[in-house]
Amino acid sequence: MSREKAAAPRRSIDWSDVHRRLEQVRHAVENDGTPDAQETARILAARAQALATPKLAESDGETIDVIEFLLSGERYGMGFAYVREVFPLLDLTRLPCTPPFVLGIVNVRGEIVSVVDLRKFFDLPENGLGDLNKVIVLHSTAMTFGILADSVAGVRTVPRSELQPSLPTLTGLRERYLLGVTGDPMVILDAAKLLADPRLVIDESVAP
Amino acid sequence: MKASIGTKLWLSLLAVLAVLMVVAGVSYLSTIKQAETVRWVTHTRDVQGKLKDLLILLQDAETGQRGYLITGEDRYLPPFLSVQNSIDSTLRSLRDLTTDNADQQRRLDTLSPLLSGKLDELKETISLRKNKGFEPARQVVMTDRGKKAMDDIRVLLKDMENQELALLKVREEEARVQTDNTALIIVGGLLAAMGLVVGAGLFLTRHIAQPLKAVSDAAEQIATGNLAVDLSAGARDDEVGVLMRTFALMARSLQDIALAADRIAAGDLTARITPQSSQDVLGNALSTMVENLRRMTQEVGEGINILAASSSEIVAATSQVASSSAETATAVSQTMATVEEVKQTSLLAADKAKLVSETALRTVEISKSGRKSVEDSVESMHRIQEQMESIAESIVRLSEQGQAIGEIIATVNDLAEQSNLLAVNAAIEAAKAGDQGKGFSVVAQEVKSLAAQSKQATAQVRAILGDIQKATGGAVMATEQGNKAVEAGVRLSAEVGESIRILAESIAEAARAATQIAVSSQQQLVGMDQAVLAIQNIREASIQNVAGTKQTESTAQNLHELGVRLKQLIARYQT
Repeated sequence: MSREKAAAPRRSIDWSDVHRRLEQVRHAVENDGTPDAQETARILAARAQALATPKLAESDGETIDVIEFLLSGERYGMGFAYVREVFPLLDLTRLPCTPPFVLGIVNVRGEIVSVVDLRKFFDLPENGLGDLNKVIVLHSTAMTFGILADSVAGVRTVPRSELQPSLPTLTGLRERYLLGVTGDPMVILDAAKLLADPRLVIDESVAP
Repeated sequence: MKASIGTKLWLSLLAVLAVLMVVAGVSYLSTIKQAETVRWVTHTRDVQGKLKDLLILLQDAETGQRGYLITGEDRYLPPFLSVQNSIDSTLRSLRDLTTDNADQQRRLDTLSPLLSGKLDELKETISLRKNKGFEPARQVVMTDRGKKAMDDIRVLLKDMENQELALLKVREEEARVQTDNTALIIVGGLLAAMGLVVGAGLFLTRHIAQPLKAVSDAAEQIATGNLAVDLSAGARDDEVGVLMRTFALMARSLQDIALAADRIAAGDLTARITPQSSQDVLGNALSTMVENLRRMTQEVGEGINILAASSSEIVAATSQVASSSAETATAVSQTMATVEEVKQTSLLAADKAKLVSETALRTVEISKSGRKSVEDSVESMHRIQEQMESIAESIVRLSEQGQAIGEIIATVNDLAEQSNLLAVNAAIEAAKAGDQGKGFSVVAQEVKSLAAQSKQATAQVRAILGDIQKATGGAVMATEQGNKAVEAGVRLSAEVGESIRILAESIAEAARAATQIAVSSQQQLVGMDQAVLAIQNIREASIQNVAGTKQTESTAQNLHELGVRLKQLIARYQT
């Protein structure tokens, strides 16, 4: 008896409210996600607010356009000048008799491109598993190859004046291919140096 | 006199017997003699008879011969013929009878030829008559030879008879003398026997009967209870002496016992009685009796002590009982009042019981409807269970649809990713195009922004979807719990139904019990009336009790006094 009494107030659901809410949801779904008048007004107001905000005065001087990507939890940037394109990693073919940093080759619209794992190339610690499903294709007159990235964040314009020479944490090989570090922080790599690196030219022969 | 009584008796009787034997012997001899004499007399008579027979036979033969000689007829001959043999046999018997007498034998020797001569003469005459006729025969007879022979025979026979008679006379004389002697002897023997008997009687009387008389006198004294008898046996050591001494001993023993009994009678129970032997029934019995009396007196003393004490207690108790009876009488009066009150109360109880019975009946009806309600509620519970199950199924379907939405979102996310890459590539291409590509760069920027927004939206949708999945999980669990709660409810309802059933039965029983109580109360009322009557009787009885108790009190007092008196009485016995 006491249990029933105790349970009674919890069970007293306002069924009309429930029905009303369900009806509302159903209505929203049927309208294909189109916001109602209030919501539309709110969004428009937000946009107006955003547009009304005066843009920061663009700093004069030299800027560089970089493509921003994530690798092992760190943010890297790469100048547009040597980037040809970005595509998702599909159908990787392993290649024998190559250094460990060469992951394999892919077919990009009929062109064979080798893929390099920068972590191994830079001797970075492998902090857990990454997605490693994006390929950024670097291109110069002499050389074309792809580097693996966890994800591509987008493109960005960085003023050169913001670039700082280095960070104490960056050591070894990376320092050699470093162009600069932004305040975010983002490591900007020098694609030209990478493309010119003799280690990437592989000429090995296997004894017959 | 060393001889015993038996010997004396034997001697006396044997003396008499000797005398009688002498008399009897003499008588016997005399009788024998008489018999001898009688035999000789008979003998003489026999001889006389035979002699006469012989003579008669000869005369018969002669008669026959004469008849024949005269007549010549044969019918006279048979007697003659038969006589011849008879004469021979008679002669032989005479010889036998007189064998002890030589004179007679001699005479018989002379007689025998005479007889045969006579018979020859007779035969000769007969044969002459038969052969030559009467005359020659008459001639022979005329010679007188036959007559002479006949005379000789007669003389001889007469001599023989005379001698026999003389012998008989001598013998009879002898027999007479003998008889006289015998009579004398018998008379003398009888006189001697009488003398002996008288002497023995006197002797036995003096030696046996007198002492026995003394003993029997003493026994008579003892029989009458006088134990002061004096018997002196003297120096006699035969049976009488022994008897007298033993009797004296017995009298002394009896005197001892009597003395002891006297002391016992006087109350002195310390007297000891020593039995004469193990077969001394009286001594043993007295000894045991004294022992028992002593013990009994002690026990009686103890008993009287107890009686005295008990009677004191009884007196006290009776006093208490008397006061208690008075209290009982008052208590009975109070009880009567109480019973009256109880009667009123039971009247009230009967009314109440009736009310309770009616109420119980109503309650039974209510419990029936309650049971019906419980059954309905169980049914409703079952319906709720079914609803719960359908809700659970709906929620599971919802969850599956949420999964489909998740797949769609994954696709959308992929698309957003690709759009992002596309935007990056566009930006790169725009950069390659230089100033001409500036506008395109803006478009690429916009596409990128859109891709980012879609990604954000998909992330939101995914988060919401996760919430929905959690919510459906919670809802399924809640439904499950609800289902269980409903099952518990069904079980509880069944229990409640059972409880109500039992309750209804109990109430029905209560109703019956209440009815019975009402009836019982009615009976109780009647009983109470009877109890009032009974208590009145009890009151009367208790009044009688009071009176009776008073009587009992006085009786107990008497008993107490009796105990005291008995105590004094028993104190007189020394144990």
